[in-house]
Amino acid sequence: MKPKTLNSKRELALELLKPGDDSKLLTSLNSCVRCGLCADSCMFYKALKEAKFIPSAKVDLVSSLYRRYYTTTGKIAPKLFGAKELDDKMEESMIDLLFGACTMCGRCVKHCSIGVDIPYVVRRGREMLAVMNMVPQSLQSTVDAAINTGNNMAIPEDEFVDTIKWMEEELIDEMGDENARIPLNEFDKEVFYTLNPREPKFFPLSISAIAKVFYAAGESWTLSSKFYDVTNYGFFNGNKVEAAQIAGYLYDEIKNLRGKRLILGECGHGSRAHRWEGPNYLKKSYDFDNITVVELIGEYIRSGRIKLDKSLVNEKHTIHDPCNLVRNGGLMKEVRFVVESSVSDITEMTPYGEDNFCCGGGGGALAMSEYNDRRLKIGEIKANQIKATGAKIVITPCHNCVDQLLQINHTYKLGVTIKTIAEVVADALVISK
Amino acid sequence: MKWFNYLAIFTAAICITVFLYRLFYLLSLGLPKDLSKETGSVNRGIIYSFTGAMSPMEKESAYLHLPTYTAGMLYHLGIFSSLLFFVWVIVTKFVNVTLPSFVTTAIAIFLVITSLAGFSILIKRVVSKELRYLSFADDYISNFLTTISLAATALYIFVPGSEAIYFVTMALLFTWMPLGKTRHLLYFFFARVHLGFFYGRRGAWPTVKKS
Repeated sequence: MKPKTLNSKRELALELLKPGDDSKLLTSLNSCVRCGLCADSCMFYKALKEAKFIPSAKVDLVSSLYRRYYTTTGKIAPKLFGAKELDDKMEESMIDLLFGACTMCGRCVKHCSIGVDIPYVVRRGREMLAVMNMVPQSLQSTVDAAINTGNNMAIPEDEFVDTIKWMEEELIDEMGDENARIPLNEFDKEVFYTLNPREPKFFPLSISAIAKVFYAAGESWTLSSKFYDVTNYGFFNGNKVEAAQIAGYLYDEIKNLRGKRLILGECGHGSRAHRWEGPNYLKKSYDFDNITVVELIGEYIRSGRIKLDKSLVNEKHTIHDPCNLVRNGGLMKEVRFVVESSVSDITEMTPYGEDNFCCGGGGGALAMSEYNDRRLKIGEIKANQIKATGAKIVITPCHNCVDQLLQINHTYKLGVTIKTIAEVVADALVISK
Repeated sequence: MKWFNYLAIFTAAICITVFLYRLFYLLSLGLPKDLSKETGSVNRGIIYSFTGAMSPMEKESAYLHLPTYTAGMLYHLGIFSSLLFFVWVIVTKFVNVTLPSFVTTAIAIFLVITSLAGFSILIKRVVSKELRYLSFADDYISNFLTTISLAATALYIFVPGSEAIYFVTMALLFTWMPLGKTRHLLYFFFARVHLGFFYGRRGAWPTVKKS
């Protein structure tokens, strides 16, 4: 049985489509001509071959509501103008297609014959569902964990500190230097570094890899034991209040520790959410540097703060471009500069860079277990891309992508190793004693 | 002038007024307010959005669908030509000027070709299961009205006696344009500006080719 407040929730959701002063929304809702040429740019359509997965169909879910409730023609002649009611059936379709069949990778945008910002419309649809408390529970619980504990995996602080201390001991042993450190909660450091909680939970060696890079660069840096989570699933669940709260955790913590530069760890959506969306969520410009670790490592290489010997790493590599760092973040050149400085044998996927396919784990898909089968099915496109390169190592500067690639590796028996950029840079480091 | 001349001029005036209202409204809203620190260039992004990013070599919607892309380009060139020709026809109602016959014949032949292109797009929408799924009445009406306006323009050039058909067809098109998806005539340009703004300020556009 539906709650009594259903209609008022629907009204609140529909308010989000009110044209108001949002030129981009108004434009996006009125631009699509339903030519269907975006179909082949979407991995969901390519893998599943159903018309409902065509990006234009996803846009139409939202724009049909706009027409029904905010245009005279849609109110007078809804069938003629494809205007639809927000009812139970529509809500089901929106949940299934806007949450379960779009990673908001933006590949369709570049190839759209008009240039409709499709993920922008999808995100607005997700915001509508969030207002109606219709975010898939699995995704919402990830956001709740971040809100309540400071990190999306709800890792207790003492467990995190133990992991960091363990990694610090490893670093001391590897470097043979008692002064090698992984600093926690230190004040006035140049770099305030952030992690994807998957690192302390499942991939602690990636922490020791970046610590090794910082050690080699002689960086003044720190982690926070409480607010280190670079992810922001509020970017995906459509709840801007929660997204702002999560962005605020890092903002407040760098202020608290008086850090000079917020360095975003290897996480595509997290980097985007803090670098590009964070100031808008918090409605203020940041008065500190806010860049990704890929750019920071690039700085180290250019300035000679770290020395790399790419002959140390001889296997064939390929790069998976995270959508939010490359297509939507402009880091295509920087990612290649760092990787090409670290390894000698690289074969690009086809396509790559801003045309690259999403791994399939974006848009919160990894958190939404109800769509696991669909996620792994669309991952076949990435699996085939990787296979075609003949690479043994896939490099990607995103821990969410790492997770999806690991599952693809297992499912499609690729037999590859997945590494982050910090890991390949650490492997190529030349450290003078 | 006859009643159908007045009808077409009246509907064109209404159409232009609605589009101008929307144009100024969108312009008044300006570009999005973005507080993040720009690393690229919005201006370069917007210029690229209208140039390099529109190249058929950059868009799968073009190079994976060359027959449809070609038909679409011809169709849109035909639409702009027929709209310009309409302006010319109205001008000739007030000013005694004429175009050389070889020019009007060339325009007519071009419009026949472009109306066939428009018709082929309409057929594709009817035949394709995927496109039928995406379509509703507006899609068929918009395509049909625009296509017959091209054909009616060509007919009017070849057979001046079909003037009434031509003007009534144009009046129907002008009436529909602000209502149907044909309104993308205006929103297309704003969509490109928004893309250029988004990708430009992040330094993603203009795109970088690997050296």
